[in-house]
Amino acid sequence: MNHPLRRITAAFAEAGVSGRLHAVDIDSGTEVDAGADHPVVTASVHKLCLLVALHQQAAAGLLDLTEQVECPPADRTAGPTGLAAMLDPVRMSLRDAAYLMTAVSDNAAADLLLARIGLDGVNEATARLGLTRTRAVHTFRSLFAGVREDAGPAGARALTDPQVLARLRALDPARSNRSTPRDMTRLLAAVWRDEACTPEHGAAVRRLLGLQVWPHRMAAGFPFDDVHVAGKTGSLPTVRNEVGVIEYPDGGRYAVAVFTRAANPAATLPAADAVIGTTARIAVDALRAAK
Amino acid sequence: MDLIRHLQCFVAVAEERHFGRAAELLGMAQPPLSQRIQRLERELGVRLFERTSRQVTITAAGTMLLEDARLLLARADALAATARRIRDGESGLLRAALPPDLAGEAIAAILAAFRQHHPGVELELHELSTAEQLTRFTSRELDVGLVRHPCDIAGLELGPVLRRELGVLLPREAPAASLEEVPLAALTGYGLVLFPRAEAPALHDDVLNTCARGGYTPAAVRQGSGPGFVRGLVLSANAVAFAPRDSGSAHSPGPHADIVWRPLAGAPLAWRHSVAWPRGRGDAAVGAFAEATTRTLWNTAAVTADVPARPLHLRPAAEYWL
Repeated sequence: MNHPLRRITAAFAEAGVSGRLHAVDIDSGTEVDAGADHPVVTASVHKLCLLVALHQQAAAGLLDLTEQVECPPADRTAGPTGLAAMLDPVRMSLRDAAYLMTAVSDNAAADLLLARIGLDGVNEATARLGLTRTRAVHTFRSLFAGVREDAGPAGARALTDPQVLARLRALDPARSNRSTPRDMTRLLAAVWRDEACTPEHGAAVRRLLGLQVWPHRMAAGFPFDDVHVAGKTGSLPTVRNEVGVIEYPDGGRYAVAVFTRAANPAATLPAADAVIGTTARIAVDALRAAK
Repeated sequence: MDLIRHLQCFVAVAEERHFGRAAELLGMAQPPLSQRIQRLERELGVRLFERTSRQVTITAAGTMLLEDARLLLARADALAATARRIRDGESGLLRAALPPDLAGEAIAAILAAFRQHHPGVELELHELSTAEQLTRFTSRELDVGLVRHPCDIAGLELGPVLRRELGVLLPREAPAASLEEVPLAALTGYGLVLFPRAEAPALHDDVLNTCARGGYTPAAVRQGSGPGFVRGLVLSANAVAFAPRDSGSAHSPGPHADIVWRPLAGAPLAWRHSVAWPRGRGDAAVGAFAEATTRTLWNTAAVTADVPARPLHLRPAAEYWL
């Protein structure tokens, strides 16, 4: 008899990462807790909080999701995807910016929305949902500026130096955008139960999370065409995260949050990405067996 | 009420028998001194001084309390001094760890350098693997250690990274043993004796990836870390092993031994170490151990500064950008 917690711990160790996981059956509340209350750096997972805050403000009539915003090429937040990687002027709706932020983790789109919602707006939204340990203290621009500053003149290359990594403020939950695995599954469960937004806006949030393109993390653990995976990843040097909801055709739905730190500072570590799916699957299998 | 501070006022007034002189001695004004004495009298429920317009005299009750007050102040001073010594690294206990594969001479040199500068600190030295050190840092059972990278450094502060380049141990009769420097590809056909993957999965994978990229895919990977066991497999099992030049006599056989050590061409493999301690807990003794260890390893010929990192091509899934 292999206890799921032992298997999760072993899978993290085998992949060379330290991992924290919380998984909950959205309807019964049964849970798997492998470090669920450990403070973690969210990185781009915080875009989920921003997405929910945006839709709450839309529901409250504070903004119109179809409103057009300008995104001039100068002064865009840097990033490898979406608007952040584009060269020419762009004009699009708030909700399409939210799509890019969610589907490809577009940093420029996220800061465009943050300029509208504000860090306070994001923190008010998470506080209203009772996420007491979740807090945004940086825009994505300021988060990366901090990394650049801490990395020093050698830039990205220095991010494989353990001594540099140890001093990156972005990797310290006390000084970076932060949460816990339990807070994130609570947020996802609220979105899926239509407690975070109106049903109409909740559906919009769920649609966007289902359009995320990355196949290498949580989705990799569920190689089933009839299982729906929706989620949001987050990454920084040595940090690989994803939070999401797994829906089975029998109606079972599970919110899972996995946050990892890799020992190896390499940027490309397929095993460290895949273990997010491996452990999410072990947890979901255990929740389904407990039914 | 800050009892120690108030007792200092009591003793000063008792000794000077004058509020003005006592205040001057304490570096404060007279009115707050009078207020403190009054507050202390209220707190203790005892009248300590008789005050007339011209003079101050200690009461019988005050005299009875004076000796206890002096004793308490002396203990408070001792406590502060001990704390200062511990903070400044002159005294106390330091729980430190070094990895098992360090040469005996290096360990002796580290201990000697530390004791020379901090003779008052009791050093409790443990032989611990990196994984064991990280566990003890988390449970607050270890103050400082020498860890091998890569490892999970969350919550740690680190000293500079030191690189111990690895060479290869191979049977004397192996063709590659005749080379001055051995390219990884020349090891083709041999098995590899490597530490168990569970000890450090990230490093284990890194070594095998580097070997494969360098043209050497071991015929078999055998688990082993003890020097005797490694030598046995190299001698009898058509295998090679990687070891730093300075990893102790067991790994550095003499000129007529059956096993020879050769540098690897291009120095593709290395053990990388740094001193580590829990973030925010680096006191003077920790600093001294870090300094002694780093300096001693620096002075060991086989240690170099970490090489500049290779180019880093971030892929879009990395999500961050500098």
